[in-house]
Amino acid sequence: MIAETCLRVEREADVVAARQKGRELAALAGICGSDLTVVATAISEITRNIIAYAERGEIVLKIARRGQRQGVVIIVSDEGPGIADIDMAMRDGFSTGKSLGLGLPGAKRLMDEFEIVSEAGKGVTVMMAKWSR
Amino acid sequence: MAQFPAALDAHLRQVLDYDVERRQQVVDLQAIDLQNIAELKDDVIKHLDEHVDAFFSYLKEWPEVVGLSAGSAFFDEAVRLKREHLIAMVSGDYGKEYVEQRIAFGIAYSKAGLDARMFLGGFHALLRSLGAQIMEDADAPMLAFDRFTSLKKVAFFDLGIIVDVLIADRESTIAQQQNAIRELSTPTLQIRERLLILPIIGVLDTDRARQLTEGLLSAIRANRAKVVVMDVTGVATVDSKVANHLLQTIAASRLMGADVIITGLSADVAQSLVTLGVDLATLNAIGDLQGGLEEAERLLGYQLVRTDQPAPARASA
Amino acid sequence: MAVTVPILKQGDVLIASIQAALTDRGLIELRDALTAKVGQFRSRGVIIDVTALDVMDSFATRTLRGIAEATKLRGAHTVIVGIQPDVAFAMVKLGLALGGMSTALDLEEGLKALAARQLEARR
Repeated sequence: MIAETCLRVEREADVVAARQKGRELAALAGICGSDLTVVATAISEITRNIIAYAERGEIVLKIARRGQRQGVVIIVSDEGPGIADIDMAMRDGFSTGKSLGLGLPGAKRLMDEFEIVSEAGKGVTVMMAKWSR
Repeated sequence: MAQFPAALDAHLRQVLDYDVERRQQVVDLQAIDLQNIAELKDDVIKHLDEHVDAFFSYLKEWPEVVGLSAGSAFFDEAVRLKREHLIAMVSGDYGKEYVEQRIAFGIAYSKAGLDARMFLGGFHALLRSLGAQIMEDADAPMLAFDRFTSLKKVAFFDLGIIVDVLIADRESTIAQQQNAIRELSTPTLQIRERLLILPIIGVLDTDRARQLTEGLLSAIRANRAKVVVMDVTGVATVDSKVANHLLQTIAASRLMGADVIITGLSADVAQSLVTLGVDLATLNAIGDLQGGLEEAERLLGYQLVRTDQPAPARASA
Repeated sequence: MAVTVPILKQGDVLIASIQAALTDRGLIELRDALTAKVGQFRSRGVIIDVTALDVMDSFATRTLRGIAEATKLRGAHTVIVGIQPDVAFAMVKLGLALGGMSTALDLEEGLKALAARQLEARR
């Protein structure tokens, strides 16, 4: 049993693999019930963003502990065109292209912690976490 | 991998193999320690019975510790396990399998209701016995001390695991009880085919609201409900998080093909919702529970007809 | 090779059950196949069963909406059935709107809903 996995995200099949793995690790971290699907959905949203905008990237999934609680921490990063205006991107309905752009604000609503770092031309890194109750 | 009782599983994941390295680091287990322990091994095993005896003699002094009378099957089994433990302790391999065995021990102690203090006392008696034997057998006192110190690292490694297990078991029980209380306090009742009533009473916090939602959605599927009457007569106030949660519950129920009727909305709660930006018109809100039930039945195509011949009242005894 | 979704015909309703392994390409092919069949059989209703999906993200929802819109243009109403409790919860939290698509608990309820719609339309 591993506490940390790194997966490459390049095509659609990788999105499915990422969310299965996310579900697995979340379960190991003691996350249960509907939160497992919540985690898988957030992973699906963010990794699809990579495929839509950046062609390739990677996702790191790990089990973490904070005091008495355990949880899963997910870091998704790519080296695509990046986002110039993060505030705009985090608004619902915002889109520059192929998809409806629900990915970012949606994932933030789903997870307990959510942070995004990006600069135009320098890719995007999203960190999110879900803790067991 | 060892099979743990399901209730313990989620909490015990904290002590499984990815943690082994960290636990070894915590007690600062090094190569030199393994070497020292290897040198101790034969002598400790020679005196195995002495040490096992020290552990149980201590425990037997305490009336709270039951079932340890010599000759009982339980006692024999306990002795056998303790001997195995000691042998494993000086074996030099403290990886995943070792940790799993310690966990199994911890679970056994926990189930047997062994008090943590008693256990620590017994463990100390065991260490004292080991220490005395190692010092006696050694050629040089400093050498003996170093070796004993190495063995103590493993002892504390073990202790860490067992304590974690005892805590995990305790927390698991508490979590189960809390769950049971929550479920009892928001029961979903099926009173007619395809109709569920969810009476909500008391303070609604986000945890409870979430559990409510999960319970309701599962019940919709299990009972194939088409209408849910959610009665909030017993809810005095709602904050934005809870209001949000209720709205999400209604939306999720619709996705599963069930309509939600809200009854018992007090003027205060209605006002809070309006202040929070909720359009009350989008909610199917009906004054009281009875009204809500009637509406639900109408939606389901039921019609209540009163007959002219009600059943006779039961004669009192 | 994309997994093809079998489409069943029951009266004037087409029924498609999506498997968990369905790829994005497969979903698009499903849309094309359903649109073609609705035209071919002049179906009045389409039921898409998503019981097997353990995640419904914005992409899946968008695609299903696309299917509903395309088939609507040919006179058929779509009902999505089988959304699992966990999935419904996550969808709502995510903020997904199903637009004009109807939903029902399962195939049976979906068929009833379509029949009721038909009845209503004829009045």
